[in-house]
Amino acid sequence: MRSVTTIKHTLTTLFKSLFLLVLVGGFFASSALAESQINPARAKFNYQLFCQGCHVGDGRGGKDVPNFIGFVGNFLKTDKGREYLLRVPGSANSAVNDEKLAELMNWIILEFGEQSVPKDFRYYTAEEVGRIRKSPLMEVVEYRKAIIQDLKDKYLVTPKYKSDENLK
Amino acid sequence: MRFFDKFFEKSARSVAQNSSRRGILKKLGVTILGGAAIPLLPVARAADNPSYPQDDAAGDPASCDYWRYCAVDGFLCECCGGSYNSCPPGTEMSPITWIGTCRNPVDGRNYVISYNDCCGKNQCGSCLCQRDEGDRPLYRSDKSNDVNWCLGANSAVYHCSTAIVVGVAFEQ
Repeated sequence: MRSVTTIKHTLTTLFKSLFLLVLVGGFFASSALAESQINPARAKFNYQLFCQGCHVGDGRGGKDVPNFIGFVGNFLKTDKGREYLLRVPGSANSAVNDEKLAELMNWIILEFGEQSVPKDFRYYTAEEVGRIRKSPLMEVVEYRKAIIQDLKDKYLVTPKYKSDENLK
Repeated sequence: MRFFDKFFEKSARSVAQNSSRRGILKKLGVTILGGAAIPLLPVARAADNPSYPQDDAAGDPASCDYWRYCAVDGFLCECCGGSYNSCPPGTEMSPITWIGTCRNPVDGRNYVISYNDCCGKNQCGSCLCQRDEGDRPLYRSDKSNDVNWCLGANSAVYHCSTAIVVGVAFEQ
């Protein structure tokens, strides 16, 4: 009888510790989730529906449409640049709510930014997107030129394509 | 040495008792046949060729009521020497385009369709098709089929329209 109770005791301890392990694991998993908050399938679908028509499937743009590949992350190096990405017509005026737009912007940066993305890239949040998109840019081309010039001066950013630097 | 003798004798006897001489042939045969059957399974085929539900089963791509054309407004390249996803010779596909979704009747799923225009030759004139499902007014230009999407090509002269499946819609 004694041995049966010992086995019972061992089993309960085992279950208890397992339960604890699952709890702790769940906590870490959820904090990692909060960090990324990107649903890749949804983000890609929104990219296709609201961006790809002009920026093209692989993000290379064309004609007067800026390229993303290996470049879009550079804008995150200054506050003005970080906000610029939310204030351009394609972002600020898109038929996408703040949460989805934050997800979409983060996805674009990680998908196309390559080496241009800063190591300390902070994800856009819905709150930030909601705040900044309230001041859309009326004039984009000259504004963009000034930002790129600033990036060239301060961070030695080298535009990959002519369209990275000059639109029109 | 006695230990080795015993060990090998024991293991050899147990192999002899528990296996048949030609059992290896049977097992090998099953493995080869079974392995050959794996690519026949639907899963393997799907991985092989990630194509979208084709296409002949879903209707005639030269007809305006074909599923991919749910928001087309223009001439179908299928009737102009091209196809639903390629331009006729002598024209250039505009990379800039508008994108919507259409429901495929075969599998009932929604697909993302890119309506790239073919440009650089005069209007094709065959298979005029205007369905406009999901088409939005010009003030929502990225969802409007009234824009001349050849604005993204070298020549702004419109010839015909394609309807290219670029993905599966995300169901909210």
